[in-house]
This record gives sequence, C-alpha cells and structure tokens, in this order.
Amino acid sequence: MSALRRLRPDWLSPSAAAAFLVTIGLLHALPHVFQLSPYDHNQITLAFIFLAAALAWNWIGGFAGQVSFGHAAMFGVGGFVAARIAQAQLVPFWLTWLVGGVAAGAYGLAWGHPTLRLRGPYFSIATIGVGEATRLVATYWQGFTGGASGLALPIDAGLKHALYWYALYFLALVAIGSYAIRNSRVGLGLMSIKSDVEAAADVGVPVVFSQDLVLFLSSAVVGVAGGIYASYFSFIEPTDMFGFDRSISFVLMAVIGGVGTVFGPALGAVVFVLLRLYLIATYPHLYLGLYGALLVLVVLFEPLGISGLIFRVARRLRAQRSAT
Amino acid sequence: MSLLRVDDVSKSFGGLRAVDHVSLELVEREILGMIGPNGAGKTTLFSVIAGSIPASSGSVFLRERRISGLPANRVVAAGVVRTHQIVRPFTNLTVLENVMVGAMFGSPESRGNPRRRAHEELSFVGLADRAEHPPLGLTLVARKRLELARALATGPRVLLLDEVMAGVNPAEGIEMTKLIRIIRDQRGISIIMIEHILAAVMSVSDRVVVLDYGKKIAQGKPAEVVRDPKVISAYLGEQSAAAKSPQRARREEEAP
Amino acid sequence: MARGLELLLSAILLAGLYATMAYGLGLIFGVLRIVNLNHGGTIMAGAYLGWWFHEHAKIDPYLSLPMVAAFSFGVGVIIYRGLVRHLPRGAAGGAQSLLLLFGVWLVLRNAAYFWFTGNEQVIRTEYSTTAVVILGSALSVNRLIVFAIAALLLVGLHLLLTRTYFGKAVRAVAQNADSCTLAGVHVEGIYTLTFGIGSALAGIAGLLLGTLFTFNPSFGGAELLKSFVIVVLGGLGSVPGTAIAALILAMVEVFAILVLPAYLTGAVGFVLLVLVLIFRPGGLFGHRVLG
Repeated sequence: MSALRRLRPDWLSPSAAAAFLVTIGLLHALPHVFQLSPYDHNQITLAFIFLAAALAWNWIGGFAGQVSFGHAAMFGVGGFVAARIAQAQLVPFWLTWLVGGVAAGAYGLAWGHPTLRLRGPYFSIATIGVGEATRLVATYWQGFTGGASGLALPIDAGLKHALYWYALYFLALVAIGSYAIRNSRVGLGLMSIKSDVEAAADVGVPVVFSQDLVLFLSSAVVGVAGGIYASYFSFIEPTDMFGFDRSISFVLMAVIGGVGTVFGPALGAVVFVLLRLYLIATYPHLYLGLYGALLVLVVLFEPLGISGLIFRVARRLRAQRSAT
Repeated sequence: MSLLRVDDVSKSFGGLRAVDHVSLELVEREILGMIGPNGAGKTTLFSVIAGSIPASSGSVFLRERRISGLPANRVVAAGVVRTHQIVRPFTNLTVLENVMVGAMFGSPESRGNPRRRAHEELSFVGLADRAEHPPLGLTLVARKRLELARALATGPRVLLLDEVMAGVNPAEGIEMTKLIRIIRDQRGISIIMIEHILAAVMSVSDRVVVLDYGKKIAQGKPAEVVRDPKVISAYLGEQSAAAKSPQRARREEEAP
Repeated sequence: MARGLELLLSAILLAGLYATMAYGLGLIFGVLRIVNLNHGGTIMAGAYLGWWFHEHAKIDPYLSLPMVAAFSFGVGVIIYRGLVRHLPRGAAGGAQSLLLLFGVWLVLRNAAYFWFTGNEQVIRTEYSTTAVVILGSALSVNRLIVFAIAALLLVGLHLLLTRTYFGKAVRAVAQNADSCTLAGVHVEGIYTLTFGIGSALAGIAGLLLGTLFTFNPSFGGAELLKSFVIVVLGGLGSVPGTAIAALILAMVEVFAILVLPAYLTGAVGFVLLVLVLIFRPGGLFGHRVLG
C-alpha cells in the first residue's frame, strides 16, 4: 500500500480519480445499455473528439493564457497526414492518428516557437495569420490535400461504430493530461507565466520551454483529433478542416465552458455540440451569431463561463451550509 | 574568492548610458549596500546581473562561472535571484502557490518537496497564516515579504533586494532588517541591497557601493562612504537643488 | 517596364485605401490599448451599408460616404459604451477584449448572412468599368476616386490630431491616461470618441473596398490582418508612418503576383504579418510587443 502511495503524485486526489474512473466506465457501457440509434451513437463519438480538442486548446489558450485563433491548422495537418497514410493502407488506423498527431505537434512548434514570445493580442493575431495562411496553402496544395475536392479514406465498415470507444479513451487520456498539467509543476509555471511573464522568469520558470512544450502537446492532441475525425467521415477537405470556423469552434468551446479551468472546455464542448444539433434543426442561420452573443455574455458577466456559474452555485451552497 | 563578480559592465538604452563600466565584487556571507540618487542605474544593474536584460558590454561571474548571457531563469538556477522595486506577485495564485513557484523552479537543490519548503519560507517571513489567501488582499509590507519568501524559495546563494524597505514604516523596517541579517548569518546567503533609506543600509551593510549617473563613484565601509565628498555632493546636489538637472530627470524616466 | 509602372501606380492607389483602413485599427489600439477584433466586422458592415444604399436608394456609393461614416461611428460608440467600457484595463483585460470584440464580429457576420445571404456582392456603378489613362497606364476611375477620398481623409486626420485641441487630448490620453484624468481631460469621452472614429474609418474603408472588390459576410478577416501588419510596421498614431507602411504592404502584394502563383498571393499578407511580428522589435509608444 505504501508503494502505491509513493507512485501517486501528491497532486492526485483519490476522490477525483474515483469519479473519473466511474464516469469513463459509464460512458463505455452507455451504448450497450441504452441501445442508441446509429445517429446518436455517432453524434456522441463526434462529441468525444471535440471535447478532447477543446481540452487541448485550453492548455495553451487557458493555462498559458496565449489565446490561439489558428488551431484549425493543426487539426487539419493531423487529419490530412493521417488520411494520406491511411490511403497507403500500410499501417493500422490508430497509427495514422499518432503520426498525424506528431506531425501536427511539430507544425505547431515550428510556427509557435518564434511567435510565443509575443504577448497577448499580438500572439492571437499572429495565430489568425498562421491559420489562414495554412488554409490557403493547403487548399491549393493539390498533391497533399487533394485541393478543394479533398481526400477520401479507405472505408472500414466496422470502424465508425468502434470509433466511439477509441474516441472515448482518447478523451480519457486527454482529460487525465489536462488534470496532470494543471496540477503539476508545469501547470504552476504556466499560470505564473500567464500572470507576469517577466516575474516568472525572475524566479526561475523556464518560459520558452514551458510554452513550447504546452503548445506542442496541445497541437499534437488536436492533430490526433483531426485524424480520428478523418477516420470518422472517411472524407475530409481543406475548408472544413483548416477553416477559420473550425478554429473559432475551439475557442468558443473553451471560453463558454470555462477557459483556464481543467474540465470547463469539455462542458463547453458539450454545450456547443448540443446547441449545434438543435440549431441545425430549427435555426440553421443563427448559430454563429448565437455563439458570438454567448461569447460577449461570458466575457462581460462570467469570465469562467459555465464553470464559473457552477463555482458560484457551489460557493453559495457551501455558504448556506456553514451558516446553518 | 569572490562569490559574485561584476566585471566592467555597461548597459545603454539607445543614447542613454544607464550603467557605465561598473565593476564590483561580492564575497561569501556579505551584505553589500548599493546606494545612489534616483536614476543612477542601480535597478538596471540588478536587471543585468539577474539576466532579465543583456549587458551592452562586460560580464558577470558567479564563483568564476560566467552567468552573463544566460536567460533569467537559468541565472536563478545558478543561484542568483532578485526582487522587484515594485512588487510583482502572481495575482492568479495564492500566497503559498506564489512561493511554491520559487521552490519548484529555483536552483536544483531547492526542488525537493516544494510545498513544505514554501510553508517554511512563509513562516520565516511571518506570512504563514496567509498561505491560502490571494496576494491582492495583502498590505504592501506583506507583499514585500511575499516577494522575499518567493525569492528565498529558489534556494539562492546571492539575493538582490531592490528597495525592499520602500514604503514600510520604521517598525516594519526594523523587522525587515532583522530578517536580512538572519538570511546572511543563518543561511549563508550574500545580499546586495539597493536602498534609499540610508539609516537601514548603513546599519546592516558590511560594505557599501555608491552609483551616480551609472558610474561607481565610491565603495567601502559604510562609515567611510558616508563621509566621502563625492558621495555627499551627489546626494546634496539632489537635495538642495529645487529643480532636478535635466540629465538626471531623463535618466530616471528612461532607465527601467 | 510599362507593366512595372502600372503595378506601381496600382500599389499607390491601393495604399491610400489600406492606410485609411489600418488607421482605424491603429487609433483604437494606440489610445485604448485594445485590439479591435471587430475591425473586420465594421469594414464588412460599411460595405454592406453602402451596397444597400446603392441598391435600394440608388445613392452613389461615394456620396453615401458621410452616412456610412456616421452609422459606423454610431456603431463604434454603442460597442464601446455598451460593452468594451466594462472590461478591466491593462493586461488583464487584453484577452477578454479580444474575445468580446470577436464575439461582436460573429454577431455582425451572422446578421449579414441573415439579411443579405452569403452571396458575393459588389457595389457596381455605371462608371465602375471606366478607365482613365495616366502616365501611359489605364487606371480605373473607381480606384482614383477611392485614392482621392482616402488621401483627403488621411490629411484631415493628420490635421485633426496635430492641430486641434481634441487631437492633443487624444495623443495625451494615448500616452498617459491617468495623468490626463488629473489634468481634467475627460478620458472616457476621449475613449468613446476614439472608438467611434476608429469604427467610422473602418466603415468608410469597407464602403470603398466594396466599390473595388467583391465581398460577402465573411469579408474583413484578411483586412483585419493587413491593418495589423500596417499598424505594427508603421507605428501607432503616425499618419505618415501608416501611409508608408501601407505603401510597403500594397507593393508587396501587387508585385508578389509577378513571382508567386496566383493562389499564394493571398497568403502573402498573412506571412508578412507573422514575419513582421517576429522580427520587428517591441516598443511602439513604449507598449511592449514582446514578453
């Protein structure tokens, strides 16, 4: 028992670990227990992919405070690299995702290393530039992305159904990663960088390395998400993968859910997906404006989005309980 | 052997020479006071030593190992840490977490069990009861102590204190002086302190160095320096003149 | 050679428009230290407004300029008073203002989709296709008018900022808002007016762009980035600096067509932006670009 205690890092709380395992177990069993329709089953699979991407975006956007409006670039790189390798049909599909992820991570590091020196709005605007430039190059690079008409992947009949569990465990890993980063030494360093980058360096925080590391990880995870997305649809094209709307979606999910919190972005992703499903059915033309309005409301009234609301309620309950 | 050696360091910002060929030495277990009128280049020199800004020329050595040219965080890892004239706590972290950052990222020897080390440093400066509070609620002197605790948590051999007494009342100043002496005596850390409150500097320093217009104009024991005519005119010149000389005013404005 | 001259003139004409467009962003950033991520949205709104006046009231776009300017000014004031004003100033507000204004941009985009559909539009008048021959090059009348208007605006701006009390107040607030409060300058008022003027310039730029190029509701993103390149390159607040930077960008764009395949010229602006941010050292009015 003491050996186990030594293995457990001091920031990992047993109750959190237990809650997490239970949740994953429930989600794993969900399709078996509830006889989901193929449509619902697939929608949840997609949701897992987006939850993971939003959590990863938050590592650089929320923990480090460097808001990226260009993460679609890595989503696309991961997706197209995975798709290309899948077309060659040499390796198992999950390996294509891994390679896509590494490629995306490397790409993120390549443009990120010089631009992470920039603070705040300057970095964010640079990411818009990177995202759009990547999209343009990708759209016209016929050889790699198939140009505007996109790429088709070899269709694997049973895969789409099984993707539910692959995506779930990918999400689980990313969630663990989120928790680990936030509560570990790296996370504390990032928070200090976010607060005052010079003072952080003045007490020994390796600013360049920390930011590079977290951008690499964030990019790689978003790249893997792109790869799974590609396997899911068996067809991808540049405008969808690299588009500004794609980049925006990550920002929206994280901010609405709670930018900078550990699991907030996952909540935001759930809301985002549900809203989109609802709006596509009833008001297809309004979803962009609705997200914009939500963004404005979050910034003005509750900077931590849904997580912030939950914290407020929790505080109020705790205050009431201690008052009685 | 000197612990810290500043060798002919200069720093210019455009046309303004903030630090002008300054050399000084710090030995083990020494408190070196650094005084001089505003705009003399003291904080700039600290920034150069700490690695926040590069020197225009000259070098800095720690135990004869070159540290000039290293980025700020590597200088901290080597064992030199500075505090800031205007305190800069991490406002999104608690008091304890602030100090933990120092403990986690300081010199390698300091990194075992950062939480415990942070608690120890907070107790040392007298902030143990504020550990879970955010820094914003603290008084100025408490924030200065927090900054000191955070710096100490990095496990330094050399501590650069920048006007750590500014804005605190005399009683708090005496407490602070006691702490500084303990840091030297019990922990063997050498200190360079920039200070305007001459009484404090003189009482606690082993030696004093005086800067004016970026140049070192005097150094020696406190009693000697205070009587040095060059030093007196540098200070009296500031006190008696109704309007500052334009040069000095420009220096204060431009040198960070 | 003639082709080179033609391209050069083309670049100069374009530069006038770019300078006006960029100045709106630069003014807001210089005074309020806020990046107006809705800059593209206001540009787009100006284009659509001019289009609407032309389509439904048959008003010549260049004549509708005052109305578009007034409307854009109003929108800017509303955005500032209603939303931006409530944000904390300084570094803490930075990311928040980005997200807030970005949200506003999304709303405007959606409104445009809703009212005008996603189709490409352009403001086409009877004389749109007419060209005038200057120095052996055929230049479209539109571009000349746009340049003339832009030049007038820039001169006017320069005079406003350097010769009037208001201009002095704006420059003072940009340097040190707290001291201005102490000196009795109504800082909030200056902020409001500056945001309004910056938006008005964006709206005007949108109107002018709409007479030269096609646009749709997603219009404005590239213009935002180009404005940013010009602002960073040319320095905040300086009209001559902005003009020169605009000229540089316009020339890079125009001459890139000679060396790059067509599809990459669009990416030129973006690449230039990233390069400018990386290599231009920090220090615009003392505001640090780098960490």
